[in-house]
Amino acid sequence: MDADAIGLLRSMLLIRAFEDALMRRPDHGFQLLSAGQEAVAVGVCAALTADDQLLTSGRSIGPALARGLDPGAVMAELLGRASGPNRGRGGRGHIADPDAGFFGAHAVVGGNLTIAAGVALALQLSGRPGIAVCVFGDGACGSGALHETLNIAALWKLPLVLVCDNNGYSIATQQAAALAPSRLADLAAPFRIPASTIDGMDVLAVRDAARAAAQRARLGEGPSFVECLSGRFSTHSTATRETRAPDELATLKARCPIRRLATRLEALGTLTADARSCLDGEVADSVAAAIAFADAAPYPDPDELLRDVV
Amino acid sequence: MSSDVPGTVKLFFREAIARALREEMAHDARVIVLGQDVGRFGGAYREFDGLYAAFGGARVRDTPVAEASIIGLGVGAAAAGLHPLVSITYMDFLMLGLDPLVNYGAKVRFKTGGRLAAPLVVKTTAGAKGQGVAHSQCLEPWLMNVPGLKVVAPSNAADAYGLLKAALRDDGPVVFVDHKRLFPTAGEVPRGETIVPIGRAAVRRRGSDVTIVTHGYMCRTADAAADRLAENGVACEIVDLRSLAPLDAETVCESVARTGALVTLEEGPTACGVGAEVACRVHEALGVRRIARVGAAPAPVSSNPVLEAACLPDAARVVAAVRRLLLS
Amino acid sequence: MISKLAVPGPIEDVEELRVLAWHGAPGTAFAPGALIVELETHKAVVEVRAARPGILRAILCEPGSWEKVGNALALFSDDPDETLPGSAAALPPWIVEFAVT
Repeated sequence: MDADAIGLLRSMLLIRAFEDALMRRPDHGFQLLSAGQEAVAVGVCAALTADDQLLTSGRSIGPALARGLDPGAVMAELLGRASGPNRGRGGRGHIADPDAGFFGAHAVVGGNLTIAAGVALALQLSGRPGIAVCVFGDGACGSGALHETLNIAALWKLPLVLVCDNNGYSIATQQAAALAPSRLADLAAPFRIPASTIDGMDVLAVRDAARAAAQRARLGEGPSFVECLSGRFSTHSTATRETRAPDELATLKARCPIRRLATRLEALGTLTADARSCLDGEVADSVAAAIAFADAAPYPDPDELLRDVV
Repeated sequence: MSSDVPGTVKLFFREAIARALREEMAHDARVIVLGQDVGRFGGAYREFDGLYAAFGGARVRDTPVAEASIIGLGVGAAAAGLHPLVSITYMDFLMLGLDPLVNYGAKVRFKTGGRLAAPLVVKTTAGAKGQGVAHSQCLEPWLMNVPGLKVVAPSNAADAYGLLKAALRDDGPVVFVDHKRLFPTAGEVPRGETIVPIGRAAVRRRGSDVTIVTHGYMCRTADAAADRLAENGVACEIVDLRSLAPLDAETVCESVARTGALVTLEEGPTACGVGAEVACRVHEALGVRRIARVGAAPAPVSSNPVLEAACLPDAARVVAAVRRLLLS
Repeated sequence: MISKLAVPGPIEDVEELRVLAWHGAPGTAFAPGALIVELETHKAVVEVRAARPGILRAILCEPGSWEKVGNALALFSDDPDETLPGSAAALPPWIVEFAVT
């Protein structure tokens, strides 16, 4: 068990605590939460360097925090304040901080896939180090955009990693009712793109698979497809009803990625009770500071509506 | 911008396009071309002739028939620092790529608070020339009201050259719309490097009786109509919009303020068309009510020669519209 | 008899052509099938070939010049010494074949 594991645990704890704090507010807004899917966000980001660019779907809070964006800035953006990285204009659906290697979220299902391929093309053509990684859900796997992206990425050997964060549902529709392949990684097979299906609730497995894929991209070997089997603990969004039975949810929550890693670290003696308390305390302080920063931040002026349009 | 080299040289329309690209690709290593058959083949109209040989296959790339990903690639690459030109041979198929163009490309500057931009040119060819209902459309109006998107439409070789240079230097995204029927034409193009600014219309012909506002291939139709009307003592002023978004309402209004009458002309349908926008802007600014719109009949444009001709505006229809307006 | 070589046609979808290259000079004799001149259209090259033997006597349009179908390009005759007229206007046509490549 490596020294980084504590860091991975802290990242996941931060995401969980951040979202809990956000949801306690009446003004939380329209959100898609990452709870349950922290291991995918954190494991993928653990494979990235400062030269890489991460693109996501609308389920962006976990990835943004895992990528290292300041929690206060993220909270401000989610709450529509001008101190967010996008002046409160993007919100969760479009939050972006390219200087931090977070090219950004895009709220159109599958909409970031071809964009990510374009980012990879720019990196490849300009000879810059760095790869593009795009995280999307099983919901995007029925789209033509995925097929087109797989094709062109394979053809041009783009430095691109496609991470399918498969939580088993496209909102209320189960994978089997929406998608013909039972293993979504098989979607990459016709394009001869290396693909794997892994346990998305195991942050170390995600990190290892992401690193292998990233390395292939860095060496000029082209794209990879990593399917992470995960599960969301909340509804699809704050505007969606829950469709799962209580016992299904209970079974899922028993696989919590945070509890899983913590238990392993405790068993190995790497994480003492005191150390865990310390982590929880750090995370709580970080979240409190984020909330305070966001609450103190101004909303944008209505007069800035026409700025940066064209 | 116009360099010191005087005089003009006559070029085929396609050569004007290739020249603009060659100059910009030589100036700026970030400019690349993506699209179907743009490489060795040189483009459906040979409008990319010579670029593959000059700049190589990394910068002039053939793509599969997959407009959504071609445009998405262009948008993403632009946001990440390149200046791509994406070629969509038929404007009819631009609609397959409207999601990355409109939902990302046109919005990325705004939605990121200025952190990202998409300096991309989508070059596409509109218009009817016997190729049928799905290969004939003029869809400029679909793009004109998208905040964040610029749309330009040259009517001649010199403007194709100058506007394409401007588009390639713009912060984008810019949709550059040319026309099938412009490719057989040739025109005088400045010898020196010249840029035609986006957002400026051009008065092609001076006249005092009526202003015809048009763009693209229809400028020729307007000209032919104006010749016929001149024989009968009606003097037409023709304003070639050149840019549809932003639209140069000032030049249009300055003209209609003098003539007192406006006829808009476009090859596409009049419903919610370019002319509808021009007419409203003129009426709002000047209160002028002598306004008529000429465009295609509200039917798909068939490859059937009888039906295509019945559908599209021609000089005779423009003449009739001007006469009706001036007599009313 | 002096004849004029005119831009052949009609050529579908072509308004104007640009003279690309002459394959002879005044005094050159052309056998049937020999390539006389290449003309560029917006998408292709038109190869103009002799349909009967004859001698090129004068080139009226240099490479780079723009012409329409029917414009006079050159003067031809059977007799290399026959006097050239002042104008090409009333001359009979020099018969050629042409192919759009």
